[in-house]
Amino acid sequence: MDQDDVLTILKILMIGETNVGKSSILLRFIEDEFNDTMQNTVGMDYKSKKITIDGNTVKLAIWDTAGQERFRTLTPNYYRDGQGAILVYDVTDRSTFTKLEMWLNELYTYCNKTDIVKMVVGNKIDLPDRQVSTAEGLQFARRHQTLYIESSAKTADGIKCCFEELVQKIIQTPGLWDSYAYKPFYTANGVSGPRNRTGRRGLKLTDDYEPDNSYSSCYCNLI
Amino acid sequence: MDDILDEMTSAQDLKKFEREYNITLLNGNLDPKVQFQYAWCLVRSKYSSDIYKGILLLKNLLDTSSMERRDCMYYLAIGHARIKEYNKALEYINLFSTTEPGNTQIEHLESLIRNKLREKRDRNGSLIAIAGITSLISIFLMKK
Ligand SMILES: Nc1nc2c(ncn2[C@@H]2O[C@H](COP(=O)(O)OP(=O)(O)OP(=O)(O)O)[C@@H](O)[C@H]2O)c(=O)[nH]1
Ligand SMILES: [Mg+2]
Repeated sequence: MDQDDVLTILKILMIGETNVGKSSILLRFIEDEFNDTMQNTVGMDYKSKKITIDGNTVKLAIWDTAGQERFRTLTPNYYRDGQGAILVYDVTDRSTFTKLEMWLNELYTYCNKTDIVKMVVGNKIDLPDRQVSTAEGLQFARRHQTLYIESSAKTADGIKCCFEELVQKIIQTPGLWDSYAYKPFYTANGVSGPRNRTGRRGLKLTDDYEPDNSYSSCYCNLI
Repeated sequence: MDDILDEMTSAQDLKKFEREYNITLLNGNLDPKVQFQYAWCLVRSKYSSDIYKGILLLKNLLDTSSMERRDCMYYLAIGHARIKEYNKALEYINLFSTTEPGNTQIEHLESLIRNKLREKRDRNGSLIAIAGITSLISIFLMKK
């Protein structure tokens, strides 16, 4: 597909403690694979993927940051201009959940876009020894006004949904993104695209989504 | 931006980490961590001269310090690839892979670099072909 078909390019950040499964979630999303022996990310990795949501195709530029302590001074350099952030913790390791507060602060400090859309992800729900309950995760998300989903990179539960929900919310946030092509969006067969989605900056998009519902609607289908 | 090799340091970051590095240098207490951060900015600069400097700093770390070797090897591969020294880049990737086989991040970088290498060869190949044809034509014209 040629870039003209893309409504916009969105910069997405994956952040959280080491070993929570950020790279695994991304590997599942991009290649639909899982690696039992995934190694710690060096510095930063980058992947891109096009996805189509409600008839709009967007290109995701995804930055997978290293969670290990020694990269802490390097990774915030990538937060600038981020439009979406995926904050991951491991439901079988409470300390990674506690640290989310710190990661959120980091995001507020270094990301210049104040209305960046955040998605909190409780990963590794396939494992039996859970330490953080769904209720706690949801409560955290509500308190910080983020989206919320639980996932398993191993079984693929929640992964696709996580990205789709995030993108949907970003597209519904006027002023957060720019249209890639400065023309109304048309679908491949030349017919005008979904109603009013010209994607221009500041234009309010009409849709059937409930804007007040700040946590994931997919979530309910999952559990 | 299409891949990790297109990613660039901001001038702001480069300045910030350069200042930190120079301060430790002046005080005579070189900190490998500060050196790594500065080198990490340099190899991602848009200027080749910066990249060369970053490579030297990383090589020095790899040989002398207790810094994580995988970090140095990874960014040495990135640095060399960004100045189109693809074979050098692949050497560091091989080195990385001997200690950590099957690392998906490194495998991805490797395939990226192999693609670039192939593109470069194809380009050179067609340049040689064009040069060949041009000289044949000129020989032909001269004979006339
Ligand atoms: N059972 C299970 N294991 C997982 C899941 N997601 C990741 N893992 C495993 O957890 C380990 C760490 O995963 P990574 O994806 O490398 O974690 P990361 O957050 O990218 O870590 P850093 O790169 O160091 O920040 C690996 O051994 C994965 O195989 C999951 O959903 N379920
Ligand atoms: Mg990782």
